[in-house]
Amino acid sequence: MSALLEVAGLEVAYGAVRAVKGVDLVLHAGEIRVILGANGAGKTSILKAIFGLVKPRAGRIAFQGQELRGLEPHEVGSRGVAWVPEGRQIWATLTVRQNLVMGAFVNNKRAAVERRMAELFDRFPILAERRSQLAGSLSGGEQQMLAIARALMAEPKLLLMDEPSLGLAPLIIRRVFDLVREINASGISILMVEQNARQSLRVANWAYLLENGAIAGSGSPAALASTEEIRRVYLGG
Amino acid sequence: MEQLIQHVINGAMVGSTYAVVAVGFALTFSVLRVINVAHPEVFMLAMFTGLVVVQALTQNFLIVLVIAATAALVAGLAIERAVLRPLRRADLLMPMIATAGVSVFLQYGVQGVAGPDELRFPRILPFAPLEVGAITVTSLQLITFGIAVLILLACSFYVRRTRWGLAARAVAERPDIAATFGVNVSRVAQITVGLSSFMAGAAGVGIAVLYGSAWSFVGLLYGLKSWVCMLVAGNRHIEAVMLVGIMLGILEALTTAYVSSSFRDAVAFVVLIVVLYKRPDGLFGSYSY
Repeated sequence: MSALLEVAGLEVAYGAVRAVKGVDLVLHAGEIRVILGANGAGKTSILKAIFGLVKPRAGRIAFQGQELRGLEPHEVGSRGVAWVPEGRQIWATLTVRQNLVMGAFVNNKRAAVERRMAELFDRFPILAERRSQLAGSLSGGEQQMLAIARALMAEPKLLLMDEPSLGLAPLIIRRVFDLVREINASGISILMVEQNARQSLRVANWAYLLENGAIAGSGSPAALASTEEIRRVYLGG
Repeated sequence: MEQLIQHVINGAMVGSTYAVVAVGFALTFSVLRVINVAHPEVFMLAMFTGLVVVQALTQNFLIVLVIAATAALVAGLAIERAVLRPLRRADLLMPMIATAGVSVFLQYGVQGVAGPDELRFPRILPFAPLEVGAITVTSLQLITFGIAVLILLACSFYVRRTRWGLAARAVAERPDIAATFGVNVSRVAQITVGLSSFMAGAAGVGIAVLYGSAWSFVGLLYGLKSWVCMLVAGNRHIEAVMLVGIMLGILEALTTAYVSSSFRDAVAFVVLIVVLYKRPDGLFGSYSY
């Protein structure tokens, strides 16, 4: 099976600090893969490097066989990659509707935008109710729904999710991960970075363990969950 | 009472041109996150371009306005490409110092060509006084005010109702996120600087015709006052910057009339100090950086 996303030998550094050290990872079409790691392990740097928001020092990043390194972030965004950033980062001063319109900035045919928005309003009725409200006035959970819906407006082939459970109530976290599964079932591949191993291993097909910027292990969720380190550090066992 | 109304009207006329320059300044700051110190010099360049066009080509106000504003647009885009873009990821101080250099270069460059004194700008608009009771407004004032209002409305429409205006607001709040959704931030920066410069250019011609003069250092005070308008209003809503620009013009006119003309230019800074003391984010809020 050919890879949708292939990252090889990725190195990211901020000055003298090496945040990502020779990371290799692969994601096939239709999969959910998760990168597990503690704060500061380099998870977000990998996603930012994929998007061109930080310039890698070395390595290659291929999406559908084409190199992404050297592209500007808006060019990566135009190729079918969307993201749900850490801490939501919705546009607080725009309305819910305007956030969604901006999500479809690349594929902006009016009829298509309205159709997608109607579909998403069906899936997220709370956003439909609040469509004219400023996004900054939504609760944390609602903002996460908006961040996910905004990314879906781009009709991506690949969705990058950066700690979608961060700062949310347990009930909402469960809903978010159910949603991850639903989105994946609709044909969108997902690469997620998370600290919540319990929930992310529940939905992922494959998981990587990132420690100090390097891959310390990888495997199926069942295999990884049975390792001593994952149980001790991430699953509280 | 009539006198008070007269001063308010005169102040609003001048304030509308402050508003046009200040909105451009605020747009550039919000979207590019740079203080473009050279922005008022674009306004000054338009004045002199207008003067050259009037002397060499035509006295048709509309043609003068369009040519001068276009020259300002070209100058603004050149500054964006040559100075602002290479420094986009640099610390806030770097583009500020770099554009201050451009500003000084343009001021002294124009002074070198046009001389240190104010030059007379021919009156290319009719000066017919219109009287309503004891209040007098000239057609010149009305036309320049009308143009300023039209420009402000068009700018507001662009920011609120167009796709690229929405993108500009998204970039102003979260540039990286906007980029990952396919927004070409460099393009947004170009459009913003181009629009701001065109507006400043139009305001420059308006002021030159209104006061009948052009001067190479005119941008200094306009620049400072634009900055004050943005800081007092906050940069989140351009309509607030417009309002503060007009209010500042009125306040200056009232100060001149009832206190002393010596204090006219100090008013803006007194207001700034008071507002920043009470509301550091400005009266109507600012984007957080």
